[in-house]
Amino acid sequence: MASYSITVNNKKFTVDADPAMPLLWVLRDILDLTGTKYGCGVNDCGACTVLINGSARRSCQIAIASCVEQQITTVEGLSEDLTHPIQKAWEKVGVPQCGYCQSGQMMVLAGLLNKNKKPTEQQVNEVMSANLCRCGTYHRIRQAVHLAIEEINSTN
Amino acid sequence: MKIVSVDRRQFIKVTSLSGAGLMIGILLPGIKSFAQNTPDCEFFQPNAFLRIDKKGDVTIFVARQEMGQGVNTSLPIIVADEMDADWKKVKVEIAPYGTLPEGSHDTGGSQSILLDYTQLRKAGAIAKAMLIAAAAAKWKIKPEQCAADNGSVVNTINMLTIPYAELVCEAAALPVPAEVSLKSPKDFKLIGKEQKKSNLKDILTGKAKYGIDIKIPGMVYASVERCPVLGGKLISVDDTEAKKVAGFIKLVTYEGTGSPMQVRPGVAVVATNYWSAMEARKLLKIKWDEGSKNKESTEQLFKNFEARATSAPAFEKYKKGDISKLKITSLNSIISNYSAPFLAHATMEPINFIAEVKGDKCELWGGLQLPDWTVGEIIKQFGFKKENIKVNLALIGGGFGRRLHFEFAIETINIAKQLDKPVKMICDRTDDIRFDNFRPANYHRMQASWDTNGKLQSWDHHLQTTSIAITHDPATKDPSENLGGAMEDFYYDVPNVHTGYTHQDFNITRGWLRSVEICVNVFPIECFVDEVALKLKKDPYQFRLSMLEGREMFKVGEGPGAMKQYPQRIADVLKLAAEKIGYDQPRMKNHFIGLATHSFIFAKSYAAHAIEIEILAPKKFRIKRVVAAIDCGLVINPDGLRNQMEGGIAFALQQALKGEITIQNSRVAEDGFSTYELLTYEEMPPVEIYTINSTEEPGGVGEVGLPTVAPALCNALAAAGYRPRTLPIRKEGFQWVV
Ligand code: FES
Ligand code: FES
Repeated sequence: MASYSITVNNKKFTVDADPAMPLLWVLRDILDLTGTKYGCGVNDCGACTVLINGSARRSCQIAIASCVEQQITTVEGLSEDLTHPIQKAWEKVGVPQCGYCQSGQMMVLAGLLNKNKKPTEQQVNEVMSANLCRCGTYHRIRQAVHLAIEEINSTN
Repeated sequence: MKIVSVDRRQFIKVTSLSGAGLMIGILLPGIKSFAQNTPDCEFFQPNAFLRIDKKGDVTIFVARQEMGQGVNTSLPIIVADEMDADWKKVKVEIAPYGTLPEGSHDTGGSQSILLDYTQLRKAGAIAKAMLIAAAAAKWKIKPEQCAADNGSVVNTINMLTIPYAELVCEAAALPVPAEVSLKSPKDFKLIGKEQKKSNLKDILTGKAKYGIDIKIPGMVYASVERCPVLGGKLISVDDTEAKKVAGFIKLVTYEGTGSPMQVRPGVAVVATNYWSAMEARKLLKIKWDEGSKNKESTEQLFKNFEARATSAPAFEKYKKGDISKLKITSLNSIISNYSAPFLAHATMEPINFIAEVKGDKCELWGGLQLPDWTVGEIIKQFGFKKENIKVNLALIGGGFGRRLHFEFAIETINIAKQLDKPVKMICDRTDDIRFDNFRPANYHRMQASWDTNGKLQSWDHHLQTTSIAITHDPATKDPSENLGGAMEDFYYDVPNVHTGYTHQDFNITRGWLRSVEICVNVFPIECFVDEVALKLKKDPYQFRLSMLEGREMFKVGEGPGAMKQYPQRIADVLKLAAEKIGYDQPRMKNHFIGLATHSFIFAKSYAAHAIEIEILAPKKFRIKRVVAAIDCGLVINPDGLRNQMEGGIAFALQQALKGEITIQNSRVAEDGFSTYELLTYEEMPPVEIYTINSTEEPGGVGEVGLPTVAPALCNALAAAGYRPRTLPIRKEGFQWVV
């Protein structure tokens, strides 16, 4: 056990955890930030995706020890009132069914758009295809992705 | 209050075989448990389904479990429309377990809207009638001189209005009317209009709490090692190393139990957090006695199916005419065998559950599609008194029938019993896949013959599966799984029909998965009818229509549980799908279209798919377009309907292309999403959903979008010169590109 101070959604937290404990479980079990989901724990599904310094990362694959002094953003930090353009697009299209995978879907897109505001179709496909949705909302995710890209590029 | 009681076993049968038709008849549930006139008039709650508070907020309580299928929106729409509520003021909550008659929370078989439509309308109408009566008294006019509109009562004489919020106190003091009249459908304001999911905002901000997100004060976490072979026993466990993991609290073991829900013996590591529990579990040294049924494989099972296929079925399901009197030769008939594997639910939210046992009391938290049956079994197995079991139902991150089964609840109680704290058991993804209740593997021998005019004269279907019913009740008298056209519901007009069923024993737990046997049977039926058409050099579309159009409705089954088969509605969805994909239009080079149609008989809905593919190289193709047509009667929420149909296509394409659970040495080989692959974003083809405009009673939609996808795809491949007969088709060497 060790003590770590981490920044999540612009707030500082100190957590006591095993250095190897994945960020996913720190967020969920210790900090009660349950918007970040457990889907597989082995890098197969993307449900656990968060932003670390703006890049999409799978929180089940990152040990807490390596999170110190990093800026972590979870779905709760996108916005609390649906004002982030990605949330807005998801709302407008009405993407979710069960909704369980959707925080990961939005976060992975956020990471992509942070890097590249005008990704090619191929780049989008590559990134989005790594995040699974059992309910099969892909048709709507695709619409929402394009809407979000449009929105982000029109406001800037 | 009168409740039509339904025997639990009957419900199982009903769910798996004939829909919950018998469940209809539950009258509007109790009122008396609700204080009608609270001293400070905080709210007005005339029944268990709704409450209006002083601010005018309307809370609608949804009894059916939300798991992505949208009942948390469609059911409130029904209530809100009938009470003329302002939709913007509607809040939706899970109806607390225990406030409604038995069966009210059961969620399966695409039955929610079907079962609840009328009683939810009544619930809303009662509230409206009481609010109107309260307003009429205030205005000193007759109730008939009032109307309701968008959250207010209107005085039709002077057109003054009073918002519902201001009538809460008076309405609550009134008697609940025994009879109310319902709106004429032409006056619907919300039904039929697009509404977004009622918990959309919570989902998109990370606030939606699924079962796995619930935290109870003092709660600990469990990760469970289960016996790899069903029917085995624990010999020993050594936790010396596991104990050293920080956060380790305790090791707990429990024995396996049998039907209805097969619980494997388990060794649970309990820890202060889930990750520690998983880490410690890896360090356990366990010896299992696997029992004698530890050598079974799906490879052998399919050989057994094949060997048994030509003998008479163990159960005769349906006989019309007499095939034995016909002259059937190799010249006027064909025989084909179709098969599909075991399948897992693989919900995104891995199976999890929370239980706390304190003396003779037990409290539970989590998603359950059949909570009453679960509670009944818990009583039997653990001896709690019914009133000492508290159930807190939770939002479900993907159901598809997985939580109709509840072995995980029994497991969690087995653990909680040995602790003095609430415990959350979570399956890791490997557990979730390996210890699922799998949709049965199945095998079909189909034979059809025709007369000299090329008209079908006989149809023979021998279905074999590893029965679900036998998993739940080994003594069941009829374990057959023939709905979907493999019994008297066979929808094509053929003079001589014979269908039968055979169960093959297999040591793995089976269960219901979205569309269950309708998916299982529509695949071979819709492929084989296509196959016969091509053999006869007939157009498969016209060939189907010739055996559907104009055919009268016929009943399937007898008595109050009888279902109705409408061949014309099956034809109509097919026609819509064919028209929308441009079936009669010239095709581009190397483009082929396949069709399939069916009725989801116990959900009273009908759907067809048309799929266009492009062949790129031998056995290599791209899906260009998927068109779905559905007739589910009156549509409650078109947005929810489309979402289900779109998702159904993804779900069914996974099964058609790549979904397969294989068993070796009585163990599931697949261990996660890398081996049990789901459809991906880029694999999702362009889809279009079309709806038949209908005023028929509303039917279910959750499962209706699946069964015709795989056959439509296989029929497109057949149009290109292939005829896949094994799912998933990659087993036959097909490749697809995006
Ligand atoms: S939970 Fe992290 S990738 Fe699946
Ligand atoms: S919405 Fe259910 S898994 Fe994506």
